[in-house]
Amino acid sequence: MDSLFTAAVAGLSAGGAYAILGVCAIFTYRLVAVVNFTGAAIGAAGTFAMVALFELGMPLLPAVLFGVAAGALAGLAIGLVMTTWFTGSNASTKAAVTAALLVGIIAVGLRLTGGQHPHYFPEIIPGSAFRLAGVEVTWAAVTTLVLSVAFTLLTEQFLARTRTGLQLRALSQRPMAAELIGIRVRLLALGVWAVTGGVTAFALMIIAPLRSPDFASLSLLVVPALAAALIGAFSSFRAALIGGVMIGLIEGGVSAIGPVSQYRGAVPFLVILAVLLWSQRGARWDEAR
Amino acid sequence: MTTFSIGALQVDRSGIPVIRGVDLEARGGEISVLLGSNGAGKTTFLESLSGIIPVRSGFINLDGVELAKLRPGARAKAGLSHVEQGRTVFPAMTTEENLKVALHPDADLKEAYDLFPELLQRRNVEAGMLSGGEQQMVVIARSIVNRPRVILIDEMSSGLAPVIVSRLMRAVRQLADDGMAVVLVEQFAALALAIGNRAYVLRRGQIVYDGDCAALAGDPAHLHRLYLGDAAA
Repeated sequence: MDSLFTAAVAGLSAGGAYAILGVCAIFTYRLVAVVNFTGAAIGAAGTFAMVALFELGMPLLPAVLFGVAAGALAGLAIGLVMTTWFTGSNASTKAAVTAALLVGIIAVGLRLTGGQHPHYFPEIIPGSAFRLAGVEVTWAAVTTLVLSVAFTLLTEQFLARTRTGLQLRALSQRPMAAELIGIRVRLLALGVWAVTGGVTAFALMIIAPLRSPDFASLSLLVVPALAAALIGAFSSFRAALIGGVMIGLIEGGVSAIGPVSQYRGAVPFLVILAVLLWSQRGARWDEAR
Repeated sequence: MTTFSIGALQVDRSGIPVIRGVDLEARGGEISVLLGSNGAGKTTFLESLSGIIPVRSGFINLDGVELAKLRPGARAKAGLSHVEQGRTVFPAMTTEENLKVALHPDADLKEAYDLFPELLQRRNVEAGMLSGGEQQMVVIARSIVNRPRVILIDEMSSGLAPVIVSRLMRAVRQLADDGMAVVLVEQFAALALAIGNRAYVLRRGQIVYDGDCAALAGDPAHLHRLYLGDAAA
């Protein structure tokens, strides 16, 4: 039981990161109406930019800042593609485009980062913060959790209380009506892409030392991100926050159960499946009647 | 005084000419009523003026500023407002948020509530929960707090009770009396002609009548012929 608890706590860092990625996924969906499959790949681009600079001898802090900026730029580039050619497309077309872009980004990313060639991922927040029931809780875990909560609350407040937030909400509900009252629709949409890119990059930098150190693995963290967003029904930031942390804890806990530990990566898939089945229960009930 | 001039305007949809050489002028303080049967091109015409769809050729001039090449947002900032058909409120935002999001720095929410006092007690209600008439009021009010000089209104009476339509018509007249140039597209010809100054009838993408509202209102048979063209003979 102790080992299960220890392993679950070890999943806190990943849970915090999943929560941030999930909140970013909802942010993008709610404000620019895109189910974004490239979210984690954009973050991976920023993370690998940080690693490359660090390997070239740049001190950690500026390398992190450049990495966050690179993530923002990568997000901006995807945003330019989406706002230039797919503004009027329906949601499924936009999702398909980002899935296609994900494949392309992974292919290019693997090529540029040397495929499976291992890189050293520095711990940007090292050390142990405190002990919880005899288990070490790392600063990385604390930081990702605090960051995920802060990002969620700030996002909610920003959308509710600022003029730009109001404009973003208008944009998300009726883009053309928003443009007709003079809202700078494209600029705001690009801002959303850039901010989520930068935030995602920072979240991945924190948990990258705990994951397989290759571009594809980090890019596929979009799966737990979308699972968290799904728990929030692509609308509730708080539910996504809780969902992301829970997925991390379950993943960590599963890793301590011998026979199934190798399948812990499947946890987000099971969560997605469970949420989709749960959301369809009404339709199935009606059909059965 | 504001002058909004459109000349030789040609607009295509999917490569097919829909608006064919339209000229129209709207002046501050006046309502220009644009009539025509379904499919005549009225909505396409307004959408081309506000920039939702591009124009093939011709000019759109607002007080000497050419708008035809500008994006919709830039046209809005230049003083052109478009009230689309379908009551395009931001449904998950309250009435007041719908107004605030469009509020020009020099404008005041009071202007909107003065025009439609009904909205004051509904200001904290989500716009998606309002009645059809209230939603239309929100959209018109949102438009005026953006401080336009020209307002294009498309089929505002669609699906509304006659008493609400009359209320909205009075409000539109008030906007013109306050100095705004109004271009009003309307299915209820009699109601629109009763508050309008100048009438245009669009048939198959071309203007077939340009004259006084009062003259057209007084000759329903002529209006009928203008709507139907050769088929009326």
